[in-house]
Amino acid sequence: MLTHRPSRPARRIIVAGASVAALALTLTACSSDDGGSGSSKTQDANEKITLTVATFNNFGYTQDLLDSYTKTHPNVTVKQEIAATSDDAKANFTTKLAAGGAGLADVQAVDIDWMPTVLQYEDKFTDLSDKSLDGRWLDWKAKQATAPDGKLLGYGTDIGPEAICYRQDLFEKYGLPSDPDKVAELLGGKDATWDKYFQVGEQFVAASKGKVAWYDSPDGTYQAMVGQLANPYENSDGTPKDLSSNADIKALFEKVATESKDKGLSAHNQEWQPDWTASFQKDAFATMACPPWMTASIETNSGGVKGWNIANVFPGGGGNWGGSFLVVPAAGKHTAAAKEFAAWLTAPEQQLAAYKQANNYPSQVEAQKDSAVADSTNKFMNNAPVGKIFADRAAAVTVTPFKGPNYFTINKAVTDALVAYDVQGKGSVESNWNAAVDAYKALGLG
Amino acid sequence: MTALTTAPTPPRVGPPEKRRRRVGFSQRLSRWDVKVSPYLYISPFFIIFAITGLFPLLYTGWVSLHKWTLIGGEAGYTGFDNFTAIFQQSEFWLSLRNTFMIFLLSSVPQVIIAIVLAAILNQNIRAKTFWRMGVLIPYIVAPVAVGLIFGQLFADQYGVINTALHAIGLPKIGWHSNTFASWSAIATMVNFRWIGYNTLIFLAAMQAVPTDLYEAAVIDGAGRMRQFFSITLPQIRATIIFVVITSTIGGLQIFDEPRTFDVYGTGGPSHQWETTTMYLWNLGWGPQQNLGRAAAVAWLLFVVIVIFALINYFVSSRISTSEARRGTSKQGRGRRSSTDRKGAVR
Amino acid sequence: MSSVPMTAQTAGKGAARAAARRSGGSTGFGAERRPRWLTYTILAVVVVVSIAPLYYTLLLGSSDQQTISKHVIPQWLPDASIFDRFSDVINSGSFNFTKALSNSIIISVVTAFSVVLFSTLAGFAFAKLRFKGRRGLLVFVIATTAVPTQLGVIPLWIIVTDLGWQNQIQAVIVPALVSAFGVFWMTQYLEAALPYELIEAARVDGASMIRTFWSIALPAARPAAAMLALFTFIQQWTNFFWPSIVLSQDNATLPVVVKLLQGSFHTDFSLVMAGVFLTTVPLIIVFILAGRQLVAGIMQGAVKG
Repeated sequence: MLTHRPSRPARRIIVAGASVAALALTLTACSSDDGGSGSSKTQDANEKITLTVATFNNFGYTQDLLDSYTKTHPNVTVKQEIAATSDDAKANFTTKLAAGGAGLADVQAVDIDWMPTVLQYEDKFTDLSDKSLDGRWLDWKAKQATAPDGKLLGYGTDIGPEAICYRQDLFEKYGLPSDPDKVAELLGGKDATWDKYFQVGEQFVAASKGKVAWYDSPDGTYQAMVGQLANPYENSDGTPKDLSSNADIKALFEKVATESKDKGLSAHNQEWQPDWTASFQKDAFATMACPPWMTASIETNSGGVKGWNIANVFPGGGGNWGGSFLVVPAAGKHTAAAKEFAAWLTAPEQQLAAYKQANNYPSQVEAQKDSAVADSTNKFMNNAPVGKIFADRAAAVTVTPFKGPNYFTINKAVTDALVAYDVQGKGSVESNWNAAVDAYKALGLG
Repeated sequence: MTALTTAPTPPRVGPPEKRRRRVGFSQRLSRWDVKVSPYLYISPFFIIFAITGLFPLLYTGWVSLHKWTLIGGEAGYTGFDNFTAIFQQSEFWLSLRNTFMIFLLSSVPQVIIAIVLAAILNQNIRAKTFWRMGVLIPYIVAPVAVGLIFGQLFADQYGVINTALHAIGLPKIGWHSNTFASWSAIATMVNFRWIGYNTLIFLAAMQAVPTDLYEAAVIDGAGRMRQFFSITLPQIRATIIFVVITSTIGGLQIFDEPRTFDVYGTGGPSHQWETTTMYLWNLGWGPQQNLGRAAAVAWLLFVVIVIFALINYFVSSRISTSEARRGTSKQGRGRRSSTDRKGAVR
Repeated sequence: MSSVPMTAQTAGKGAARAAARRSGGSTGFGAERRPRWLTYTILAVVVVVSIAPLYYTLLLGSSDQQTISKHVIPQWLPDASIFDRFSDVINSGSFNFTKALSNSIIISVVTAFSVVLFSTLAGFAFAKLRFKGRRGLLVFVIATTAVPTQLGVIPLWIIVTDLGWQNQIQAVIVPALVSAFGVFWMTQYLEAALPYELIEAARVDGASMIRTFWSIALPAARPAAAMLALFTFIQQWTNFFWPSIVLSQDNATLPVVVKLLQGSFHTDFSLVMAGVFLTTVPLIIVFILAGRQLVAGIMQGAVKG
């Protein structure tokens, strides 16, 4: 006689499991009706539709703000999909784009870093050109989203005009003027140059006897400098420049490498790494290139360290770091409605609300002039008049670097070599430059 | 049979005389049962795999034979150009080296420690649930927490380990700048997460080892070590093979740990800890967006993994078989384990 | 049963009882003696190291961002302030926590159940039944795990959109219903733990294949099945990448929404860690409930007479 059978607890588990599974399937079936945007292809003005807008991190778009669109457009409901970081959002965005575009949001927020992809595949996105919107954005912001044939592919949201954030207390301690205006003057005021910046830095580091570095990281400084070249790695037709004969970049590389390591101006950390984050606590450096969104990072990382301030100056003219756009994927079902919505969301009034919510400095000329932005101050930065400073810094931006399809690949090769030299202490300036050139050659771009 | 209350159908086997009357039909039914059942039992796996697994595989194969960018899609058939191009990339060979070294530094200690821990847990200890669940905790901690913790442990300048080393007068270790140190740090992360997991797998196998084998060994005067090497190890042979193969496959596909080793997740400025799966991810999803080459790397890695898995299979089965033989003969009882038996039920 | 070959071994009751004795009530190696303090010391060290990260998330969750950026270890004991953090997470306006919780439960329970069932079925067939192509198919199953899966998201997403499953949890469930790992695991386990005598005995007694599976293989597989269920459950509970592609935050899983607490440029790690800990709590409850069952399952051994 066979008497092997599941013991009682096991039976209970099996039965329980089966019923949970059945329940789950029912629940799934019930919940599967929602999701996805509207389905009709016809564009009836009164048809009820749902528009999705995909953002990441914190764009400052509250549900109240989005709901207010429904008040003026009763047939439209807006749903926001948020990803945590721009990296997560990018993986999501590119995967769906790679699979043909199905499932993308109607309006997609795109970081400036992925704009080359959008420009490269412009037929996958809706042309957002609209005469009535001319002049809404700073010229260089609109230019970043304009395809070679003149199509406007993205509406600007925020920008990242750079100023110099500095440690007032450390400046005082090592004998530099600490008042923001004096600091701006010290670095050359309107005619501030990188040479001057490095020169003051050498003085400072000498005064601190090497205890405090001048700036946070070689890569942060390099990106600020490379962002002031019109065609850093590629010609305007998109063809890459041979890195081995790219004298501008080689000069920049050698300058940053030597100043960072040989002259000891950098704190020898790579941006965003744990050491870099910790260095804010250790009085490890005194200045850094600083777009508006960076002030939030400084505040978080500094955690109680007082003495930060902002000087209304930037070496080598203006510079921009970061900022985003809203694009409308062509695969969407309501591209016309989505375009209208994106235009509304990037209108000065809405961006003002977003600035209040998340401190994303607006790219709209009107919004920058509004007192809510222009008169704003930053308490952590010693009550610096950030509204005025960043408006000036945005106006100072004259050069928009051309970022073609290979910009980030080549930029990574150079930055990697810089980090290998300064942060990880490998080889010489020469050998690391050669490594960057080798990495470029391995790309096989011709 | 009558006690089978949970069976979905009433017992098909009745009293003997009833069975004899229906022998023709039930025999045919039974033959059909024997023939078809195995296929029926394995079919759920193959059906669902065909839908969710096979298409992606074929798709990857198809992509690897084309010039194919992530967003732009297919741009012409190129045969094996992607493969030959990959062979010329020093980054590919570097990534294989890194993968292999991290694999060695993690898998070998992992399997050994897991077996030992399992043997310890297999004793008659108090609070079994607590200890068993305790070792599995690392497996459930979210990667963001693990990344944060190991980031603080292994930071080059201000990390906990280097601060401690510095405090006792030892030189700091370049966890990210030194290639070997970066492999060791990543292997530590891997081991931390997976030792408990493998321990429980071994433990389950050890629990199935018949007690009378140990009783017999005790009678024969075998000590604990002797029992471990002569009974436990040979008896869990199938599981050892299982763990060795799965950790070979998993270890050579190592992706999450090296990706969280720094915040960029690209494998270091000099590719010090860029593994092959990271390389293929960077090729496809990085700025190059070269999906064709990424797919080619995926297939090359597949071949490498299969070769390694086969080597490990032969090595581990050879080792545990010889141990099994030694074990049983030394024991003098000549009891064959069921795994040695060749027969299968028909 | 005519299909059972006559073997030299005794069949029927005797064999069944012998086999039951072989593994029943196993307490394993070093059975009689209670282990000494060395064992407990080793285990204590291992468990302390294992629990440390989880405890650390609790500490960070009880602290605040300012303190965390100043001190690697903000405090040594968690305090009640973590409950405020929990309620911040649960009541966060940017995602639906309870929905995510129920989704995570459904996904983990359904996949754990289905993986165990299908893996045990297939494992039984591969380990103990003879059929054409057995070896080849098993090698195929194992080989499928050797293919790097990173590229698979694109074709998988194509399938999901074709089926219209965007933002629906079956897009996460269906691909996870079976597991090659599970099949391989069950095959290896049953090969060693399920004696042929038992199956033969059942067949001689006239049990059908499915009954043999149900009454012989399934009980024998219990320790391994419990383990596989636990592993599958945890794996799905912590799975991030694929759910983050197919689901959006109003119909997400816990890892997807917890990630939302993390920002690109500045992150309130205290809040993130509170969220991480909060999503781990259900797993710990499962541990306590299932752990007892799991240990009991293992302790009862493969076959109960």
